[in-house]
Amino acid sequence: MTNYILRRLAQTFIVIVLLSYFCFYLMTLMPGDPVELMIQSNPKITSADVARLRDMYGLDKPAYERYWNWVTTIASGDLGYSRTYRVPVSEIMGPRLWNTFILSAAALAVALIVAVPLGVLCALRPNSKFDYIANLFAFTGVSAPSFWLGMMLILVFAVNLRWLPAGQTYTIGQDFGFWGTIADRAYYLVLPVMTLAYLQIGVFLRFTRSSMLESLRNDYVRTARAKGLSRDRVVWGHAFRNALLPLITILALSISSVFSGATITETVFSYQGVGRLVYESILGNDFNVAMVSFMISVSMVLIFNLVADILYGFADPRISFR
Amino acid sequence: MKTWKMILAICTLPALSALSAQAAVSNKELKIGISQEFENLNPLIMTMSATSYMYSMVGRTLVTLSPEGKWVPQLAKSIPSLENGQAKLSPDKKKIVATWEILDKAKWSDGQPVTCADFDFARTVASSPNVSIGEKETYTQIEKIDIDKTNPKKCVFTYEKARWDFYQLARFFPLPKHLEEPVFAKYGKQKEGYEKNSNYTKNPTMKGLYNGPYQISEVRLGSHVTFVPNPEFYGPAPKIQKIIVRLIPNTGTLEANLRTGEIDTIGTLGMAFDQAVAFDKKVKSENLPFEVQFKPSITYEHIDLNLDNPILKDLKVRKALVYAINRDELVKALFDDRQTAAVHNMAPIDPWFTADPKKVTLYPYSRREAGRLLDEAGWKLNTSDGFRYKDGKKLSFVFMTTAGNKTRETVQTFLQQQWKDAGIEVVIKNEPAKVYFGETTKKRKFPALAMYAWVSSPESTPRSTLHSASIPSEKNGWSGQNTPGWVNKDVDAAIDALDTEFDGKKRVELAHRIVKAYTEEVPVIPLYYRSDVAVTPKGLLNFRLAGHQFSETNEVENWQIK
Repeated sequence: MTNYILRRLAQTFIVIVLLSYFCFYLMTLMPGDPVELMIQSNPKITSADVARLRDMYGLDKPAYERYWNWVTTIASGDLGYSRTYRVPVSEIMGPRLWNTFILSAAALAVALIVAVPLGVLCALRPNSKFDYIANLFAFTGVSAPSFWLGMMLILVFAVNLRWLPAGQTYTIGQDFGFWGTIADRAYYLVLPVMTLAYLQIGVFLRFTRSSMLESLRNDYVRTARAKGLSRDRVVWGHAFRNALLPLITILALSISSVFSGATITETVFSYQGVGRLVYESILGNDFNVAMVSFMISVSMVLIFNLVADILYGFADPRISFR
Repeated sequence: MKTWKMILAICTLPALSALSAQAAVSNKELKIGISQEFENLNPLIMTMSATSYMYSMVGRTLVTLSPEGKWVPQLAKSIPSLENGQAKLSPDKKKIVATWEILDKAKWSDGQPVTCADFDFARTVASSPNVSIGEKETYTQIEKIDIDKTNPKKCVFTYEKARWDFYQLARFFPLPKHLEEPVFAKYGKQKEGYEKNSNYTKNPTMKGLYNGPYQISEVRLGSHVTFVPNPEFYGPAPKIQKIIVRLIPNTGTLEANLRTGEIDTIGTLGMAFDQAVAFDKKVKSENLPFEVQFKPSITYEHIDLNLDNPILKDLKVRKALVYAINRDELVKALFDDRQTAAVHNMAPIDPWFTADPKKVTLYPYSRREAGRLLDEAGWKLNTSDGFRYKDGKKLSFVFMTTAGNKTRETVQTFLQQQWKDAGIEVVIKNEPAKVYFGETTKKRKFPALAMYAWVSSPESTPRSTLHSASIPSEKNGWSGQNTPGWVNKDVDAAIDALDTEFDGKKRVELAHRIVKAYTEEVPVIPLYYRSDVAVTPKGLLNFRLAGHQFSETNEVENWQIK
């Protein structure tokens, strides 16, 4: 198993290096660069200014040379400098990553808490009224666009009922103490978490339901029942454990995206997350911010896929690692 | 019963929420919503409009442009001129020297006086090859600053060139030398070392970084900036005790935030024009406690014609394109007459503006005149399909603009129909802003028509947009905004002369010479002058929209809530 993990980690590293260069190269092909954005906002910028700035930013160098400069800077522990926000990347990225993690993790937790039991119950009562209603709920969640859902929640809960704030990350300029701050953050998280969670509930519910339905049809479930085991033991100890494999796959992918950000939801709720930051940095050709975020996203996807592969072994002892 | 109560609450709460939002607005706190991103507030390296908007609350410089479009002193006691004797031309008339004196009361927020040394230091930093300042000429146009030995607030600026607009130093910001000099001394030799380590970057709430009516108490990039009064401000003490500028990137939720009281005002960098018009109707119909303010600005919406296009090389075709569109009808139908039809590149608030038919060529809507010109140019109407043809080729143009910009797309459709009525086919092909500005217009890759806006200031020499040296090319690094590729030697000469003409009357004559050629040769189709929009709570006094690139926050100390 150790060999397997080491081999996969080595593969992960190679994939990250290759993908990072590919991504960097693609960004260099995009129209516009930070200097061009300056020209657009200030027509008085002269051709001498353009040449000076391009030289300073290294934009006149070939892609591989710029990539190498970026790699060596990252390797020295410096994440670089954001040309959009004019601050070091670490200063702007750190708090945003944390905010995004809180939002995405909370939404994922809510989605799982709601969707998994619902999915199991649907599988236990297929084609019942409950199953139909739960499926309708799941499909509306899957098909509702996040910007629309977010706006509707704002209209109902913020504008009309005035129970919750229309956006923002926390109350500005107030010190509530430790627990007060947590409560304040939670207050602002309710609507964005509801939006994100509702979108995920449908996916998890459908996966859980279909996986459980298949599992419940297996011989070992019938045997467990024939042995006289309790219903709970049959459902959770035998059927659900075997239904976990597809759920682990989808869960691993979902966890890997908790640092990637939810651009639309963050934008609608003016939430200071990393998704909107990355979007703006790509639009502004802010290589350093975009590349750091890309590296985090790719690493998370690859690492959590590895974690999922390892977890398969625990969920199903028949799976072995070579 | 409960259901009915809930429905009633949902129906009535929008009005109640707006009222309660208004009730909360007081001089204690004002929350402004904007929809554009902002950056580090170092005045030397800032480039974004939203940063300039906020910097005006905390930083002042020698002069600025008032909402009336007049240059007024800020930190300076008076504006030097040849007439008042505070400025003089060198004997060879190639240079100009001006004496500036800073207000005695002008101080940084830590109580240190603002002196000429702060301006000289800013010039030194800006001149460094290691600092990534955008428009360097703002600072380097001043060759040297000689500080009076007996009065550190008085100094003589020697300008590199004798330009009439030498006093327009609204972007020449001083830096607090006592705080920033140690940073520059330590990191100034590293590439971008100064901006990475400046106090504006590392500690933006530090006392002493600002000299305006407010200072910054909190900065969260991508979220908000909080401003509190600067007790050392030289002018009247601000009436509002705290201002929070919040970034709400989705313009759709700006209104929701306003209604819930999470913001009290939407600044000029907030709502799109069409949203503001729609919201104004709601304010009136729902009796909401807000005012939607509109002010004509100098932002000039127009269509560039690619003069390399063989069909557009023909002046008759270009003129026919203008005659065929009814711009008065356009602004009435699409903008409720709240934006003004344009006749050329200078807006009515510009002192150089003229619509005198003797000085400019006007193109009142006339489909008949358009048809006559096209007939003369050899483009004959085919009655079977309604389009014009020449040598078997249809009169057809590709019309481009920024995809997703609702206002521009609506204008496109309006114009497309009018040109169709004149027998001209227009094919719309829009692109995302990044591609459109980053590649297509910049490198003059649009086949025929490209719609966008120019922003300038009153009495601005149109060098970057009309001089032939400003035609973007690989050679000049694609800088310059003469995107049509217009070459007119007389205009080039007038622009060159304009920079160094100190006689106001002669300057106006030169400006009119340029605009005459511009309207006569039609390198660009003028459409309309945009209006600035803002939403303010009822009772906010002394809030005046600027209508130019220096925002309303230049007068923030006068704002007061009744």
